Amino acid sequence: MLRVFGHLFMALAAIVVVLPIAVVCSAALNGGRTMYFPPEDPTLARFTEFFVSEPVWTRALANSVIVALGSSTLAVLLAWPICYRLWKSGSRHSATLAALGSIPFALPPIVFGVGLGFFWAFLGGLGSIWAGIVSHAALFLALPLVTISIGLQAIDRAHLDAAATMGATDGVIFRTIVLPQTLPYTISGFFFALVLSFNEFIVMFFVSASAFATVTLQIFNSLRNGYTPTMAVAAVAFIAVSIAVFSAVARWGDLPRLMGADQSRH
Amino acid sequence: MSVVGHPEPAMAESPRKARADAVQAADDRGALGHRFLRAGVTTLIWCVVLFLCVVPLGLVVAISFGHKVEGAGWEWAFTFENYYRFLVGANWPAETTFLYLTQLYWSMRYAVVASVLAVATALPFTYLLTRQSRRAQARWLVFLLTSLSLSEVFIVMGWDIILSNNSGLPVLFSASGLTDWMKATGWFDVLRDWGLASPRNVKFKTSEFATVLTMSYLVWPYAVILLYPALSRLDPSMAEAARTMGARPWTVARTVILPAVRLPLMGTALLLFVFLLGGYVAVTVFADPAKQTTAVSVFEHVRGSTLNAPFGAAQSVILLVTAAAFLVLGQRLSRRSEGAS
Amino acid sequence: MGVLALSTIRKDYGETRAVDDVTLDFPEGELTALLGPSGCGKTTLLRMIAGLEAPSRGTIALRGRDITQLPAHRRKFGMVFQNFALFPHLSVRENVAYALTIGGTARAEAAARADRLLDLVQLSGYGDRRTGQLSGGQRQRVAIARALAQEPEVFLLDEPMSALDAKLREEMQVELRLLQQRLGITTIVVTHDQREAMTMADRIVVMSAGRVEQAGSPQDIYRWPATAFVAGFIGRANFMDGVADQGRVMVGDVALSLPEPVKFLSGSPVRLTCRPEAIRLEAAGVPLNRVQGTVTFVRDLGPVRDIHLDTVLGKIVAEQTPDHSLPGIQVGQTVHLTLPPEALRIYPRPRTAMAAA
Repeated sequence: MLRVFGHLFMALAAIVVVLPIAVVCSAALNGGRTMYFPPEDPTLARFTEFFVSEPVWTRALANSVIVALGSSTLAVLLAWPICYRLWKSGSRHSATLAALGSIPFALPPIVFGVGLGFFWAFLGGLGSIWAGIVSHAALFLALPLVTISIGLQAIDRAHLDAAATMGATDGVIFRTIVLPQTLPYTISGFFFALVLSFNEFIVMFFVSASAFATVTLQIFNSLRNGYTPTMAVAAVAFIAVSIAVFSAVARWGDLPRLMGADQSRH
Repeated sequence: MSVVGHPEPAMAESPRKARADAVQAADDRGALGHRFLRAGVTTLIWCVVLFLCVVPLGLVVAISFGHKVEGAGWEWAFTFENYYRFLVGANWPAETTFLYLTQLYWSMRYAVVASVLAVATALPFTYLLTRQSRRAQARWLVFLLTSLSLSEVFIVMGWDIILSNNSGLPVLFSASGLTDWMKATGWFDVLRDWGLASPRNVKFKTSEFATVLTMSYLVWPYAVILLYPALSRLDPSMAEAARTMGARPWTVARTVILPAVRLPLMGTALLLFVFLLGGYVAVTVFADPAKQTTAVSVFEHVRGSTLNAPFGAAQSVILLVTAAAFLVLGQRLSRRSEGAS
Repeated sequence: MGVLALSTIRKDYGETRAVDDVTLDFPEGELTALLGPSGCGKTTLLRMIAGLEAPSRGTIALRGRDITQLPAHRRKFGMVFQNFALFPHLSVRENVAYALTIGGTARAEAAARADRLLDLVQLSGYGDRRTGQLSGGQRQRVAIARALAQEPEVFLLDEPMSALDAKLREEMQVELRLLQQRLGITTIVVTHDQREAMTMADRIVVMSAGRVEQAGSPQDIYRWPATAFVAGFIGRANFMDGVADQGRVMVGDVALSLPEPVKFLSGSPVRLTCRPEAIRLEAAGVPLNRVQGTVTFVRDLGPVRDIHLDTVLGKIVAEQTPDHSLPGIQVGQTVHLTLPPEALRIYPRPRTAMAAA
């Protein structure tokens, strides 16, 4: 009885979570310029518009991809030395550094966005895509910081000792043991940052100063003029990317562990 | 003891110095170079993190004391005029308005209701989730993370389509005859009292209900993800032990599970609250113009129609202070309950 | 002088002294077991030998050369770890070839050497497997092969059997000993299991609280424990606390004799030990060292039988092979027991025991 109740509750939750997403996705099929639900005159023409023919959208998509790839790479490159020092020495400096690096993610995004707006205005980077990449790297630094730290903590210290007794120096141990064993966690951190950067727009709004637009920013900017089915196509594309990325993380990494599940239960 | 202990470091050092082995010396030189390199990298990383993560916030605080120049942006200053304006209005003391405080009130109200709602529904869900197989959990997590990462604009778009007056639920209500049925039974008047109906049909836009629903939806996956570690580490044999001692399922939930996750529960609610405090899109789309929030006002002043960067910065600082106050309060409470138990 | 020599090694962790003034010599080609209860400092000592920890004072010398400051990766003593520490991201062959690969040996040659080592530990054909697909015993063999790949001068094993189940443990002890003898490699094994030490070792070093209690051949240590601690740790022993009295020992009101007059001053507190299998349950012969006891429990293990007795000397356990036992011995029965003088060992009573008394 209670089991049935539990399953019902989970099913209900799943339906509520899916509902708005499904609505947006099906709206992508609308034939006309206006968004209807259920869609009228279903067609896939909007997909061509979004990915191929409409320069506004293709440019925005290119910007989104550049910012997401660039910022998540940068975030991982910044996070690695911090995590490694923290793990290796456990010093208070590194712990403070990691905490500082996580600040932007823990704040209301609008506040950090406003701050970055001022920041880039002073540096003269306002409106450049570089500023966008660096801003997102700072915003999402917390994600690789967390996943890489989890990965490093998962390494059995005996492995390092074993390698040392077989003649491996610190550098060799790093290359042959630490790096390969934490690769799944590094990739997870990269993907988390990638997907969230892809979807973020408040910070990007302040940093871009309308000089360039990512897909979410483009949608946000035209929010007041009403929706078009092409926007919904963007949503479909983004959902597809998210599912692909997180499935990959679940397939090759240990997703429950990354999310903090207990190790002993399988 | 101390007499023996004193010469120890020297004893440990001396063989090292005595052994002037060429290979070892080369090794030491390498180590020295490594140390310089490491110090360089450390300094660089410190600079980058401070520069990127801390300086922008410092700027917000600094500019919040700045002064707006009519038609020419703003200039550095040290004035509290922006804070006065927030608390009692620009024309104080001649005239007092609480417009901005009201906005802060709505910010907090939406954030509190939405985060509590999200945590309350996420708790049983997460508990059930952690009792499933590892594989099933991974599948659910993919689903939740996808929903979590999906941009606010898409989610607001989805709920907007569902709740707007000429498509979605209101149309469904009137087409299915549900509106007429509610009118006949008197439920319609109840909905009107709650502000969820126009004279002709149900109406969710604009309403507090729609705002809170969407905000709650936005953070619900976060709530699950944040509660997940605590609940998955909960030892199932604890609940089983309670069952063998005759506790009913609800009693188990109340006496075993809830107390065990009380702290993570509060922590999660606080984090969601902080996140929602800056929520923007859901409020602009679903909230009544008279019930807009501080975040919307920040937006307007920094990049919107009424350009006034210092005042926008001051409002950002107030948002931060509010968030910090709630976090401190939460920590106090949890420490007290920790001490009590 | 042996291959490896430790002199006055000490290790402090803050206030606690993990290893205290250890001086040991490890002869060429011998297998030495460091034996002691958990926390006695044996693993710390092994890790210092491997170069994974630096001693707080003292020196370690390899063939007369001081290697105290040499880091682990320059010593290259092969080591087998408690949970084997096989690298999960490498195949079995890559694990075994690890030392060779990072040392710059050509890939093909390293693989060939690894395969020969896998043959040696009877794991031919397992080279391509992932380490996660192996059983406990197989994992241990891989760990051994991996540590031997670099042809170490000293081979170290830290509790190598602790991750195996009881039955496999005995098999692997014999197998490891045979392998060690065949290769003639100087080996140090850390263990808390005295049976394991007795099975494998040429020499046993018994440690307690960071100190060496006794070092010697297994038989010597069993027959002539140097301290009461060793007597209790190696095999089983009955302990009787008494006082030296004119060449004999008074335990309560009973005077016990040893083969030679006791050299302790009369009145000094002493502790006697007697192995359970040495106690005779019979009334025949000279009534020397004979007392009465009440049987409280009989533990029949098949080949041997433990008889728990309440006596004026305290609680005593006697081990009998069934055909030696009295017919139909039962709980509650009163029996005579004899502690042969030559089976008694005498030690000064430990200070803690005196405080308790």
